[in-house]
Amino acid sequence: MEIKFDSVTKNYGPISAIKDLSFTVTQGDFVFITGPSGSGKSTIIKLILNQIKPSSGQILVNNHSPKTQLEIDQNRRKIGVIFQDFQMITDLTIEENIALNLDIVDFENDQRPLAIDTALKKMKLQNRRFLFPSQLSGGELQRACLARAIAISPQLILADEPTGNLDPINAWNLIKYLKQENEKRGTTIIMTTHHLDIVKSLNKKVIKLIKDN
Amino acid sequence: MHHLSHTWRHLRRSPFQSIIALLTMTVSFFILTSFVFFNSGLNSVLNHFNTKPEITIFLKDGLDKPTLEAAQNEIATIPDIREVRYVSKEKALELYKELNKNNPLLTEMVTASILPASFEVSAYNPKVLEAVAQKFTAKTTLVDEIVYQKDLIESLMGWTNMLKNFAIVTISFFGLVAFFVTSAVIGLKITNRKDEINTSRLLGASLFYVKKPFLMEGIIYGVFGSTVGYLATLSIIIYFKAKLNTFFSPAIFVSNDPVFFLTWFLVELSIGFVVGLGTSFVVSKRYIKW
Repeated sequence: MEIKFDSVTKNYGPISAIKDLSFTVTQGDFVFITGPSGSGKSTIIKLILNQIKPSSGQILVNNHSPKTQLEIDQNRRKIGVIFQDFQMITDLTIEENIALNLDIVDFENDQRPLAIDTALKKMKLQNRRFLFPSQLSGGELQRACLARAIAISPQLILADEPTGNLDPINAWNLIKYLKQENEKRGTTIIMTTHHLDIVKSLNKKVIKLIKDN
Repeated sequence: MHHLSHTWRHLRRSPFQSIIALLTMTVSFFILTSFVFFNSGLNSVLNHFNTKPEITIFLKDGLDKPTLEAAQNEIATIPDIREVRYVSKEKALELYKELNKNNPLLTEMVTASILPASFEVSAYNPKVLEAVAQKFTAKTTLVDEIVYQKDLIESLMGWTNMLKNFAIVTISFFGLVAFFVTSAVIGLKITNRKDEINTSRLLGASLFYVKKPFLMEGIIYGVFGSTVGYLATLSIIIYFKAKLNTFFSPAIFVSNDPVFFLTWFLVELSIGFVVGLGTSFVVSKRYIKW
């Protein structure tokens, strides 16, 4: 999946979250978005997900600017999202959370059990599948969130500060899984982070946002 | 199946809210069914009287055949008259003997000559009977006496109309209560699950996908409420059937026709489905916009 920002500006009232931003992420890229707090990292994720609209400029997904809600929904179904605050559904088990995402993207029925098993196995969560999110640690929750994202075989994984709540070991493990997805399946990865050591060690494309005071 | 399990989860997660919505629907349909059965019963009683000669015009003795035929035709040409039946003196005696066959003392001294001939008139619309009565009361050379069950019919019509008006007001009131309570319950549930809906939308769920469990919840309230409300009323009616039919005898107040009960069950089930779906549709449209 290719994402292109073309002179995108997003204002919240008088405050400019991002200003005249242009970049292109092509299929198979692994891109970090870095910058200090308030520099607009999460705004970029929200704009890609069409959660908010740009004040000016346009965002192209596979060279097409989605206009209708149907197009927006269809694009979202191709994206695996790892939220900073996990956003797991609290009264569903980990397995049910993954199953829900598969149902939303209309994944083939007979392939669903295998997709769930594979994702849980990759994230080493097989023995946590029947637990509820509140019964998991922060690291396990983040892995569960990644399992939910990769189960649908997405074209793009959007990870919003996925290491923000993790200790260094879990943070590195998560990055390792994302790198594997990118290299083995060619999944495009866009990840926001302020952990510069992670960014430097992977040697991938970086979009560095500067906070304009 | 997935949506059904979602709906079940919604019901289970807030059982008291669900019970309130179910009870309100049930009470509303209990009242609706009660009015349906009572209205049907009263209509049945009214129809019973409508099929009987509602006016009996007793004729003077010695009238010739052309005069009788002219009078019969005059009544028959009045709009909404169903039947005009001439009962001769001989036929009157026959009927009298049949009515009193168990009491020979009352029949042995009676001959056809002392009984008057008559016209028995029935109408599709009971209101027309009063016009007939007024018209023929003036014909003193023809008519001896008019017997008209005016009070009974008027009273029955009054009861039926009053019941209909009362039913319209009460059913409308309880219908509105059911709508607002169900709306409030589903609205609360949507608000409680705002984060879940938001997450699902970000994962690519369509608006219809996230609304579907709430629509199904509304349908469950409507279908369950109409079924339980109907069955509760039916049980009470069946329990009191013998007493009610004896009280309104010879008319049949509680029908014996299973098709009638099945038809009304299906009608109420459909109403419950539509009301439940309509309510949840309106509420989910109002609350789920993101």
